[in-house]
Amino acid sequence: MHLSRRSLTPYLLIAIPTAFLLAFFVIPSAVLLSMSVVESEDTIPTGNLTPDNFATLLSNRLYLNAIMRSIYVGVASGAVVVLLAYPLAYFLVRTTSRWKNLLIAVSLAPLLASVIVRTYGWWVVLNREGALNTALRSFGILDQPLIMLPSTIAIIVGLAHALLPYGVLTIMASLNGLNPSLERAAMSLGAGRARTFLSVTLPLTAPGIIGGFLLTFAIAMSAYATPAILGGPTTEVMATMIRRFMLELLDWSLGSAMGAILLVSAMLLLLLTTMLGDRRRAA
Amino acid sequence: MNRSSRLPWTSLKLIVACIYVFMLGPILITAAVAFNQDNRSYFPPRGFSLQWWGAAFGPQWLQPLLFSLELATLAALISAAAGVPLAFAFQRHEFPGKSLVRAITLGPLILPSLVTGIALLQFLSLIGLGRWMGFWALLIGHVVICLPFSVRTVAISLTAMPGNVESAAASLGATPYAVLRHVTLPLAAPGMFAGMIFAFIHSFDDVNLSLFIARPGERPLTVAILGFLDFGFAPTLAAVSIVSMLIPLALVAVFGRFVGIGDFLYQETGNG
Repeated sequence: MHLSRRSLTPYLLIAIPTAFLLAFFVIPSAVLLSMSVVESEDTIPTGNLTPDNFATLLSNRLYLNAIMRSIYVGVASGAVVVLLAYPLAYFLVRTTSRWKNLLIAVSLAPLLASVIVRTYGWWVVLNREGALNTALRSFGILDQPLIMLPSTIAIIVGLAHALLPYGVLTIMASLNGLNPSLERAAMSLGAGRARTFLSVTLPLTAPGIIGGFLLTFAIAMSAYATPAILGGPTTEVMATMIRRFMLELLDWSLGSAMGAILLVSAMLLLLLTTMLGDRRRAA
Repeated sequence: MNRSSRLPWTSLKLIVACIYVFMLGPILITAAVAFNQDNRSYFPPRGFSLQWWGAAFGPQWLQPLLFSLELATLAALISAAAGVPLAFAFQRHEFPGKSLVRAITLGPLILPSLVTGIALLQFLSLIGLGRWMGFWALLIGHVVICLPFSVRTVAISLTAMPGNVESAAASLGATPYAVLRHVTLPLAAPGMFAGMIFAFIHSFDDVNLSLFIARPGERPLTVAILGFLDFGFAPTLAAVSIVSMLIPLALVAVFGRFVGIGDFLYQETGNG
C-alpha cells in the first residue's frame, strides 16, 4: 500500500493520546475483567482460571442484596427523575417568562456542584435531629423523631435530587425538537388539551423520557457518594461494596468481579440506549 | 385565554415551584447550617457565627482544596492538548480504525468512572507502580475521564464551522500551516475552552475515580470531605461544601458566557 504523507496525518494526530488511553484505560479495564475470573490471594493473582468469584458474589446473600439494591436504586431514581424532570422541562421550554433563561440556568446549576455537596444537604434535612424532624416536632405532628437514615429511600431521594438536571437536559432536548404545529393540528382537529398532550406530545417526546431514564439509571447504579452518606451497613450497594473489597478487605478478585458486573450492566444499558436511538432515527 | 385553559398552566407553575424548592432546598439548608453558633448541624441555625467559614480555609481544608485546584487545572490543560488533535482526526480525516479509536476515546464518559478507578488501582499496583498512587495516578485518571469532554466540544466547534472555509483559505494560497494557525484553530477555540471548563469541573467534582487512587496527603477535596464522614456532619463541612460548590459556579459565571457554554451543554446531551 502506498502511504502518502496525507494519509499519515490522522495517525500522527491520534498517536500520543491513543497510546495514553491504551495504557491507562483500555489495558487496565481488560486486566480488571481478566482479574475477575482469576484466582488470587488478596491482591496478588495466582493465575488459575476460576468462576468462583462470580459464584461467591451471586450465592452470598449480602453480596447479592448489594447488587439487587443497586439495580433497584437505579430504576427508582431514574423513575423519580423522569417524573420530576418532565413537568419542569415542559415548563422551561414553553414558558414565555422573561426569567426563562435564568430559570433554565438555576435548574441546571446543581450540575456544577459535586454530588457530595448536594447529598450532604439531605443528610442535614433527614438526620435524627435534622430539619425535617425539627419541623415535624415543632408543628406537634410527631413526638418521637423519625429515623430516616440510613435507608434505601433516602439514597433514592438523594440520587434523584442529584441527577435531576440530566433528566431536565434530555427531556428539554426532545421537547425542543418537537414540531409545535403537530400539537396545533391535533387541537384544531378537535382534541382537547389533555388528549393532545397524551396522544401527541407525550409519545413524540418518549425518546427523551427513555433516554433520561436510562442515563439516570446508569449513573445512579454506580454512584458511590450518595449511598455512602445516606446509607449504612444495612443498605450496601455495588459501589460501596466494591470500595470495601478494594480498600478495606483487600480482596481484589471479588472487587474486580463486582466491578465487572457493574461494567457489563452499564454497557447493557448503553446498548439499549443506542438501539432505541437507532430505532428512533430509522422511524 | 379563558379561565379553563389557564388552569392547567397555573397548576403546572405550582408543581414547578415545588420542584425548585426540592432542588434548591438542600443546598440552601447546607449553607444556613454553616452559620450555627455551636458545632452542631441545627436547622434552622441556632445563634450566629462565622467561625466555621474561617475553619473551611484552615490548613486542614485548604491543602486538599489547593490540591484539587491544581489537579483540575492540569487535567483540563492536558485533556485539551490531547483532545484537539483527536477531534481534528475524527472530524477532518477518514482512516481505518477510526470508529474504534473514537469508541476508546469516548468510553470513559460512558463507562462508570468507579470501574476505571479500580482498574487503574489494580493495574498500576500489578506493574509495580503502586508508588504513583496519589498525585500521578489521579492526574492520569482525571485526564482519562476528562478527555471525552474536550474531544466532543472541539468536535462540535469543528462541525459548526462552515466546511469550506479551510479549503477557501487554501485555494487563496494559504499554506497548510497558515490555514491551521489563522483559520482552523481560532474557529475551534470556543470548543477548546468550553471543553476545558467541563473538564475542570468534572475533575474538581469527581469522587468515584479519586476515591480509589488517592492517598493521605494527596487527595482531592471531595475525597477529603468523604473521609470526614466518620466524624459525622459538622458546620465546617457545610462551609467547605459550599466553598467547593462556589468555585465551579464562579468559573462558569466568569468564562461561561464568553465561550457560550450553554450551547455546548445543550449539544452534548442532544447528541447522545
